[in-house]
Amino acid sequence: MVYGVVQLINFAHGEVFMVGAYLALTVMLAVSAVASAVPWWLLLILCGAGAMLGCGLLGAAIERIAYRPIRHAPRLNALITAIGLSFFLQNAVMLLYGAVDQHMPSVIPSVRFDVGGVTITLMQIIVWISSAALMVGLQLLVMSTKLGMAMRATAQDLKACALLGIPVNRVIAITFVIGSAFAAMGGMLFGLHYGTINFHDGYMMGIKAFTAAVFGGIGNIPGAMVGGLVLGLLEALGAGYLSSQWKNVFAFLILVVLLLFKPTGLLGERIADRA
Amino acid sequence: MARGDRTRRVIRPLAALLIVVSAGCGKSEPVVKIGFAAPLTGDQASEGQDMLRGAQLAIERANAQGAVIPGYRLELVPVDDQRSPTQAVAAAKRLAADRHVVAVVGHLNSSCTMPASAIYHEARMLQITPVSSNPQISRQGFDTFYRTCATDDLQGPAAALFMVNQLNARRIFVLDDMTTYGRGLANELIKTLEKLPVELLGHEGISQEDKDFVPLLTKIKALNPDLLFFAGMFPQGALLLRQRMDVGLGGMFMGGDGVFHPSLIKLATPNAANGVFLTKLGADIHQMPTAKEFVALYESRFGSIGAYSAYAYEAASLAVWAIRAAGKPDRQAVLAAMKTLQDYPGLFGAQNFDEKGDSLIRDIGIVTVRFGRFVELGTYSEKAGRFVFMPAPSSN
Repeated sequence: MVYGVVQLINFAHGEVFMVGAYLALTVMLAVSAVASAVPWWLLLILCGAGAMLGCGLLGAAIERIAYRPIRHAPRLNALITAIGLSFFLQNAVMLLYGAVDQHMPSVIPSVRFDVGGVTITLMQIIVWISSAALMVGLQLLVMSTKLGMAMRATAQDLKACALLGIPVNRVIAITFVIGSAFAAMGGMLFGLHYGTINFHDGYMMGIKAFTAAVFGGIGNIPGAMVGGLVLGLLEALGAGYLSSQWKNVFAFLILVVLLLFKPTGLLGERIADRA
Repeated sequence: MARGDRTRRVIRPLAALLIVVSAGCGKSEPVVKIGFAAPLTGDQASEGQDMLRGAQLAIERANAQGAVIPGYRLELVPVDDQRSPTQAVAAAKRLAADRHVVAVVGHLNSSCTMPASAIYHEARMLQITPVSSNPQISRQGFDTFYRTCATDDLQGPAAALFMVNQLNARRIFVLDDMTTYGRGLANELIKTLEKLPVELLGHEGISQEDKDFVPLLTKIKALNPDLLFFAGMFPQGALLLRQRMDVGLGGMFMGGDGVFHPSLIKLATPNAANGVFLTKLGADIHQMPTAKEFVALYESRFGSIGAYSAYAYEAASLAVWAIRAAGKPDRQAVLAAMKTLQDYPGLFGAQNFDEKGDSLIRDIGIVTVRFGRFVELGTYSEKAGRFVFMPAPSSN
């Protein structure tokens, strides 16, 4: 999404995701310390809100401090800045929270449903529902609001938009805020699902998210969703039927082959008008 | 221009600061340094920092006992290898280039120690690795290489004998983390298993970057093993334990020394970690009368002791001993002094090394998790050419 608007691969996105997980943990511990009898769903909402708010601010700060000053510099500068930011956030979290993996208490009751021989946990249902809701909301925002229209316009031509009186700086900042808040939500769900979080977790996630976006067609929201699903399925099936050692090889091989034949990704975007 | 002004505003105070700092360092007293290399950032930073604390205590103790070489100050130089072999080589070269560094304590991972050892050998520097247990490292024939822990050609057989003779496992699946350490340990384990009356159901690797092992565990579940062995590190070990419970994979779980870490039980949750068996290098540090003072000091300073802290302390103390014995800050002299070492009073008893540089203290401990706590079950020791299991005095 950020790439779509400013043509910048935000390598620090994975780190924002990781910060989101840590923020959710902090809120969770703080709330449990103050009031012990909070129902789990309320706790979950509080954590989600705290993490999204915090990361939204972080996203705005990243855009303002790190990216805006070099927006008109060559693209390589922005890329290097992004990598630097990613190191900065990783090590800042390591110094703040310590290097050991943190345990994320499982607040969601472990309810299991058996549907035709497949076990589904309440956790998984919550992950599905919240991701689907966020994706639909994002699609609606981008496609049918004035702000979304401004975002799409900025993505097409930044200078022309500025000339037409669209506050491009604000639009880009809002894009960062939304993207970061979504990353925070993802980070929280990730932490809750696996039960452990580490300051290093954002790295692989950032790469996987980027891959999914490329897979689906970059700058295309349904595409990223489909890309993520396909990538996850490929990895799981690869690990289950072939060998877990070849899991990543398998997933990325498919990506290479796909891009060879369809360079714009599964749900290809109109890259042409940018070339 | 505005930009120029801003630059000058920043540069002036910086320059002033630089002058002050360099003036402070101006009259330098002669220094002799011991290098320390381990992952200090990245996902294994916690183990690296546990080791660094151990090494720091050794240096502090040495300094408290008076100058190591008269007129010289002893200093520890920590470098970060981020558990990456490439970074390890860069770190080793940096240490080798500093002529004040006469010995190195490190690295943690066998995959780092292996390539770095060639650089230390070329620079004629004494290298003592606290915990890299892959047996291939000492078989390179480097006279600069020493190691204070037992190796995986002992840990593998000990794990195999324990799971077959004590746990009666017959159907076994082996997982590793595809590192020099994990794969090496898994191979040593399998070598012994092949001589025993068991069925090896499979051997697979997982990636250290990965978090989701559900598909793999589902596949293993269909094979219905008595025991799943994991040769890797504790973060992945904890995830395997949790997800094993999620997919309902029964049977026993056993891990190598990389999984033995104080935070394993918390990360895996006490419920999922219950009944896990682990091998570890060396006997229980808390049972060692020779280590009592060190354990008390460490725990009062830093809290609970890390799995590798004692080995780093031992390695750093040995380096200090060698420098003291050499009497001058010279790499060759330190190396020559190290060769004369005999019955060094170490944490695990009298420390001696064989011609490959491996410690002759070759015990492998076995622990389990009971009610959220690690419990020592016993120790495998070499007795009269055979590897025998001796149960702990009171395994309650």
